[in-house]
Amino acid sequence: MSAAVDSLARLRKNIGTERASSVPATEVATRLETMHTEGIAAFAEIGLPSRREERWKGTNLSALGAMDFARIGTGTAAPNASVVDSLQSVDADLLFVDGRMVRASADRAALPEGTRVLSLFEASLEAPQLVAANLGCLADSKTDALVALNGALFEDVAVIELAPNAKPDRALRIVSYSTSLTGAEGTASASFPRLLVVAGEGAEASVLFENEVKGEAPGYTGLVSEFLLSANARVEFIESQSGPSKRIHVTQTFARVERDAHFDSHIFTLGEGLVRNELSVDLQGPAATTRMHGFFLGSGSAHHDHFTTVDHAAPHCSSDQEYRGVLGDKSAGVFRGRVIVRPGAPKTDARQSNPNILLSDSASIDTKPQLEIYADDIKASHGSTIGQLDTEALFFLRARGIGESDARLLMTRGFAQTIVDGVGDEAARVLIGERVDAALSSLQSSASSMRPGSSPRRDSA
Amino acid sequence: MSVSPLVSIKNLHATAGETPILQGIDLEIGAGEIHAIMGPNGSGKSTLSNVLVGKPGYEVTQGEVSFRGENLVEMDPEIRAREGVFLAFQYPVEIPGVANNYFLRTAVNAIREHRGDEDLDAIDFLNLLKEKMKLVEMPEDMMGRAINEGFSGGEKKRNEILQMLLLEPSFCILDETDSGLDIDALRIVANGVNQMRSSDRAMLVITHYQRLLDYIVPDYVHVLSNGRIVKSGDKSLALELEAKGYGWIDGIDDDAAGVKNGAASAGAPS
Ligand SMILES: Nc1ncnc2c1ncn2[C@@H]1O[C@H](COP(=O)(O)OP(=O)(O)OP(=O)(O)O)[C@@H](O)[C@H]1O
Ligand SMILES: [Mg+2]
Repeated sequence: MSAAVDSLARLRKNIGTERASSVPATEVATRLETMHTEGIAAFAEIGLPSRREERWKGTNLSALGAMDFARIGTGTAAPNASVVDSLQSVDADLLFVDGRMVRASADRAALPEGTRVLSLFEASLEAPQLVAANLGCLADSKTDALVALNGALFEDVAVIELAPNAKPDRALRIVSYSTSLTGAEGTASASFPRLLVVAGEGAEASVLFENEVKGEAPGYTGLVSEFLLSANARVEFIESQSGPSKRIHVTQTFARVERDAHFDSHIFTLGEGLVRNELSVDLQGPAATTRMHGFFLGSGSAHHDHFTTVDHAAPHCSSDQEYRGVLGDKSAGVFRGRVIVRPGAPKTDARQSNPNILLSDSASIDTKPQLEIYADDIKASHGSTIGQLDTEALFFLRARGIGESDARLLMTRGFAQTIVDGVGDEAARVLIGERVDAALSSLQSSASSMRPGSSPRRDSA
Repeated sequence: MSVSPLVSIKNLHATAGETPILQGIDLEIGAGEIHAIMGPNGSGKSTLSNVLVGKPGYEVTQGEVSFRGENLVEMDPEIRAREGVFLAFQYPVEIPGVANNYFLRTAVNAIREHRGDEDLDAIDFLNLLKEKMKLVEMPEDMMGRAINEGFSGGEKKRNEILQMLLLEPSFCILDETDSGLDIDALRIVANGVNQMRSSDRAMLVITHYQRLLDYIVPDYVHVLSNGRIVKSGDKSLALELEAKGYGWIDGIDDDAAGVKNGAASAGAPS
């Protein structure tokens, strides 16, 4: 058994009963018990993903297997007080540290009738049925080891409930910090945040989920999110993440989209960590639609892996996938996109695209779009490209007086802009745009200082 | 001339890859002067302009170019631009995702910084931009769009002139800025260029058509063929070329010109 499995099993043996007894509603407690026992059993049986599995070919998780965890979530204590204090100014509806809610914003109360943003404890009081019936209904612990791990070990859940036709006038914002501060060098912490969004008929909302890491020590964050969209609902999910080099982050998002509903996903991955983003969207009802967009920017020895599945199960559905990658330094990108069109899904329109830019010779991308089509009368397209910055365009900008590194920055920013601009919520778009800019600027400045060929002007006679 | 010319090109040879293209160009352009360059397709006009602005892919193998007494060939393209060299491209590129106004402000400020001027803030820049856009009759909403993306041929050319007006270079090279323009756009572009005419500025105007030179009246006209200037004259040379084609000129390359018996000289005496 790996160090990780050993240490996870040793640590917090009682987490299952602890969390079940911490909630006031019996139906929720029962659900949590089941998820814990199923998760533990499935994880023991399946084990950590290996590169022998087709879906994990591009990514090596052995670093996770080797982690000797000193702490899971908040440990048995409350979240680190100094960390919580340092987050005073973070403005979020719910603030999580190491997978447990530490603060809810007063603004939450001002949300319109029918919009609720709750912790697990609060949801057990206010909406126990909703949790008991929906938590874990899309993310299947039995077949996926990392879903199982989260299901067994999560401590809290951000629960968003949108009543039919609820339309909050601002994005609902959740910030989740993972800390890598405590523990001696060489030990690691794991946290398992979780999100459940249930949207009633005709509801419309944007949800912004920001993953942050405090500290540079190794660690693992395994986030599982589930979205249930009833007919005519429109939900936008914006996720951002940026981790240091020793951090492993796995995002697993599942959405079920019913008739005429729309699920809009935008994921932004920055930083140097090892990241795996899985997104699985089931277009279950006729004319359900989804947009699955992502931008990733790798620096250092980052490894950013996107694994998407969209399942067209009903007629007249459409999916639009676009993941754009910029890879600098020694970073690596992986894109695996699966589009399944079932026999009962004529008039499907499925688009998938993965353009990438490599900023350095040591960066790489491994991309493989994949279509599995079992229906007639559909439109499907897919494509991926790998390129450097367009040299004609780069020269044009320089010929207008813009220095080479600024010109590169303008162009990579332009490349990312399409994805940033796709974010519907304006405040979120501005926030994300600033982060992407900052990450691009710092990558460019580190790259240009090492690049040959950008030699300073020689003295002229 | 008592003072040295603004631009001095001496025995300039340049290759693209292995292919020699410019084969000994001599040209002096004084401040305040407008020179026109005409010549058959493929004679090297765009190559000359690209070499002057430092486009990668060309190598100067012999000769020299000095600009205000400085060796231009040694400078990076952005330094040439900041020093005041500007080329309105024959085929302006599209750059998706990069907004025109953002790009223009970055360029203007890069050049101001080089001159020791303070950056223009967003508002001052916007005012300057609006003023210059009026001169080229460009609608304001074009500025929020990506550089040249979805612009018509004529709009791209006007955008080049707008950049020239904003950057205020002292050596302006226009590579077939008149091609593909309708009559109104030609007048607009020519007005923009004439705005820039001044005693301390030099212009090199590449064109195939005399009609542009009705608006922008040149001091000198040169004919380029096979990478060499084979004839120079005043503005009447352009009229003569319009009437007779290139075939009659000594040293013109028959194949490249293709006009000796071709359509361009149809009806003209030879
Ligand atoms: N990068 C390059 N590589 C190879 N050949 C080139 C390159 N650039 C130009 N040439 C060649 O050099 C010659 C001159 O081209 P150039 O574009 O300078 O002509 P031009 O006079 O501008 O023609 P036009 O009137 O058609 O615009 C042509 O034969 C062209 O194919
Ligand atoms: Mg040309």
